Amino acid sequence: MQNKLSFHQSSVRLEIIGLPDYSNNENIDQISIISQWKLTIVDKPLIEGKIEHLGPIMDAFYIYSNLLIKNEIPIYESKLIDIKADNLHIHNIVLKSSKANVKPLVLKIGNSLLSDTINCFDQLNESPKVRIKKTDTPNIIPKKLKFGLNKKVKFFNFFIPPFFAICSLILFSSSFIYFYSPFENIEKKELTNPE
Amino acid sequence: MRKSYVNNNIKVNEFDALIKITVEMSKYLYPYIREILKSKEDIKDNSIIWNDFNKRFIELIKERFNIDSMRVKKLLNQAENGEIIIKSLLILSFCISNQGYQKLKNFLYNF
Repeated sequence: MQNKLSFHQSSVRLEIIGLPDYSNNENIDQISIISQWKLTIVDKPLIEGKIEHLGPIMDAFYIYSNLLIKNEIPIYESKLIDIKADNLHIHNIVLKSSKANVKPLVLKIGNSLLSDTINCFDQLNESPKVRIKKTDTPNIIPKKLKFGLNKKVKFFNFFIPPFFAICSLILFSSSFIYFYSPFENIEKKELTNPE
Repeated sequence: MRKSYVNNNIKVNEFDALIKITVEMSKYLYPYIREILKSKEDIKDNSIIWNDFNKRFIELIKERFNIDSMRVKKLLNQAENGEIIIKSLLILSFCISNQGYQKLKNFLYNF
């Protein structure tokens, strides 16, 4: 008897079918050995495949969504799946079959279905009942950026006041150069009194 | 960008708190966010939701932001603000999971 878990988000449903790993003393309702998965999008053909296809498809969606947001050219291409943007609202998905002589499946989805799909994948990733090789969503903040946010303010707060102080001191003291010049006065006196 | 004469830097804990509030709000408002995105997809047949949202967005920007700023003017321009709004809504819609807080934080750091 196989276990079946469903993840729903508005118009998208992801079904995972499989068995627990009894050798690992897992609960009966756990799924660690996935035998089948199905991705159902309303008004679109059913997407299903082997376990080795699920990871790359999830990765493709995550990478594509990141590219879409970061103002970069949103194109993802691989042996299994291509995702390209027709425009900012419509996304073109091409799923290529591993079997010969099978035409690729072409789907057009909008932003609403894209976000539903991403949220279904998020639910799967966070589910304690399914153990899969987790996709590497970019959850770790790069060290450079971490430094940038926390230290930038402190750096400016520390250096800007003394910098302004030195600048104003230079400006203020440079104005005194024009007030009194002893050598010029002596020269003028010599000119007026040639004796 | 805000209509304020005080220009204080946000503290890290305040930034974190704002992200948490935003994520919780986007979880709650996801059906609405989704409908706005959907409305923009087929603007010819279903433009009412998008137009209402855009109108309210501009009203709020005029009310709370410094409209003399060039960046704010860009937000008010209906021809240019579509992309900014769509991307902002997409970011919110991608961050409604339990790890949404971390995701939104990463999106903002990389923006």
